[in-house]
Amino acid sequence: MTDHNVSDRAAIEPSAASAGLRVLIVDDHSIFRSGLRAELDADITVLGEAATVDAAINSVIDLQPRVVLLDVHLPGGHGGGGAEVIREAAPRAPHTLFLALSVSDAADDVVSVIRAGARGYITKSASGAEVSEAARRVADGDAVFSPRLAGFVLDAFGAVAGETAETTEELDRLSARETEVMRLIARGYSYKEVASTLFIAAKTVETHVSSVLRKLQLSSRHELTAWALERKLL
Amino acid sequence: MDEQVRTERMTRPRLRLVGGVCAGFAEHTGVPLATVRLVTVLLSFCSGFGALFYAWLWVTIPSGGAAADPLPKSSLARSNVASALSSASVQAAPATLSGSEAMIGRSGFSRADADSARAAPVTEILLGLALLAAGGALVASRLGADIPLAVVVPAIVVLAGTALAWRQFADMRSGAAQQSSGLLVRILGALVLVAVGILLFFVTGTNPNAWTVILAAASVLLGVAVVTAPWLLRLWSDLADERAARAREAERADIAAHLHDSVLQTLALIQQKAGPHSDAARLARAQERELREWLFTGSRSGGAEPATDLAAALRRIAGEIEEDFAVHFEVVTVGAGVGVRSAASPEANVSSADAPESLVAAAREAMLNAARHAGGAVSVYLETSARGIELSVTDRGPGFRLALIPPDRLGVRESIFGRMRRAGGTAAVRPGPGGAGTEILLTLPTRTVSATDEHHTETSVR
Repeated sequence: MTDHNVSDRAAIEPSAASAGLRVLIVDDHSIFRSGLRAELDADITVLGEAATVDAAINSVIDLQPRVVLLDVHLPGGHGGGGAEVIREAAPRAPHTLFLALSVSDAADDVVSVIRAGARGYITKSASGAEVSEAARRVADGDAVFSPRLAGFVLDAFGAVAGETAETTEELDRLSARETEVMRLIARGYSYKEVASTLFIAAKTVETHVSSVLRKLQLSSRHELTAWALERKLL
Repeated sequence: MDEQVRTERMTRPRLRLVGGVCAGFAEHTGVPLATVRLVTVLLSFCSGFGALFYAWLWVTIPSGGAAADPLPKSSLARSNVASALSSASVQAAPATLSGSEAMIGRSGFSRADADSARAAPVTEILLGLALLAAGGALVASRLGADIPLAVVVPAIVVLAGTALAWRQFADMRSGAAQQSSGLLVRILGALVLVAVGILLFFVTGTNPNAWTVILAAASVLLGVAVVTAPWLLRLWSDLADERAARAREAERADIAAHLHDSVLQTLALIQQKAGPHSDAARLARAQERELREWLFTGSRSGGAEPATDLAAALRRIAGEIEEDFAVHFEVVTVGAGVGVRSAASPEANVSSADAPESLVAAAREAMLNAARHAGGAVSVYLETSARGIELSVTDRGPGFRLALIPPDRLGVRESIFGRMRRAGGTAAVRPGPGGAGTEILLTLPTRTVSATDEHHTETSVR
């Protein structure tokens, strides 16, 4: 993933690039779909909805939305849920980005969709405004990390134990700066707040988060899977 | 060696001449060591009885380790012994108890009451019978009676072997046995004893022919079957138990998956619709938390264990406060030992709930403060590392300055700062992210935790 769309704007205000953002809602609960559809900001266009893995794959390929709001748990397909949708649909929808929505805090669920290629993860209890904001951020090429996902990343990469990466190529450990950013996000700071606390530009924070996401997707660190399986909660 | 102290368990001390049997026996019964040794030597001249008895005790009595110092008689309760000793002696403890009992019963000491807890003392009776038979036969033959030793000796051997085998299996079933190699040797020994006994019985008979040999072979097979029966039974019941447990687990996973997909979704939706400050959202959240707790704590292996780690304590507090205030806590925990188990790893003790009791209390106060004065979304972040514990409570409220609090208000000063100071940690209040709200930061270095709470460490490591 490249950060081709990253702009220097503050995190909260909508940018011109994301106006008329086209999204697809994938969730097997019709109440949730309609609720989310009603709650999303006015400048977000919902192209359609899908309730199963197969329907979702078809819709993504047909509609080519910019962002897919993707439930982690989905019926149908080969039982792979949201991760399966990403794996199947992403190659044929090159400009589509995926934001995982989950009611679950289970690390293995979240990590499976992130590693399949989702650009972020938020819980379903997030408000419509929060979901809209997250969708915009994903559309701009940034990663969306919930505090819990940040906490998981810190744990899984051994950052708390003091492991830091020396080079940017290293995939299995976080750099010192990335660790700091993750720590603040885990504390509930927004990107903007992280930026002002660390005296860096908001864009730099986004770069760090994107780089962490890349590591989360590509790292072969065994803790990522072992930890997720062992511990039920994120 | 204190001659006055009698021990309930007979063990062979580390300092020994040959096998440590005499020393153990002397220590156990209170008879002077020299006397025991002399009697043993003398008995050995009586057709080798002493030597035989010595060898038998050598085999059956466990070696006493450093942990197995002679226990005063009064302190002995089976469970105490089992928990206090290392695994090796734990495995052997009940065995020795029963063994010594049988032996002592024969020697004239009365210890019958000590073993009343045991349900069916079959093994003791068998061992006692074997010993009684041996003794009686020896005495009778000394007196000149015509005892068919060719029958008696094999019978004794068979009895002893069977008793030994049953006892080992009983230990195995009670779950006390951990040293599988030693156990195997003993079971094999018991089997060999039985086989040899039965063979002796027939082969040393008057006229060995083909039929006696066949009969002997059949008897050996039967004997082995009898001896291994408890083991097979145990295996069978274990298998059944495991199968049942797996079925239960699968059923539970099904229910969990279903609830996850339906009920939790609905609760999330209610919260989203109702807004964070409404009663409906609060109710839905409380329900969600309860359900989640049930789903996830139930699927953990050691479900009976209460949530004793710091992370769980924080989540519980968050839940309690959320019921009373319009607030939503996002509790994020990071680092070693914050996990579900507070088991044997040393880091786990850092986060065990009783260790940082004052930290939990201070955190609770900080969270209450945030709920009371700020409300809305409050982040609780816990990080445990080798350096110590760091906990922050961040709210988005109006913010407050320590200097502005009147000195008579004890809330923050005493319950947060005072507590942390006494626990050897520090507390700080600073403006929240971006200058809005409040962030309360509690830190506790590792050293203090381990120093003040050594006894907790001990109990949890056991």
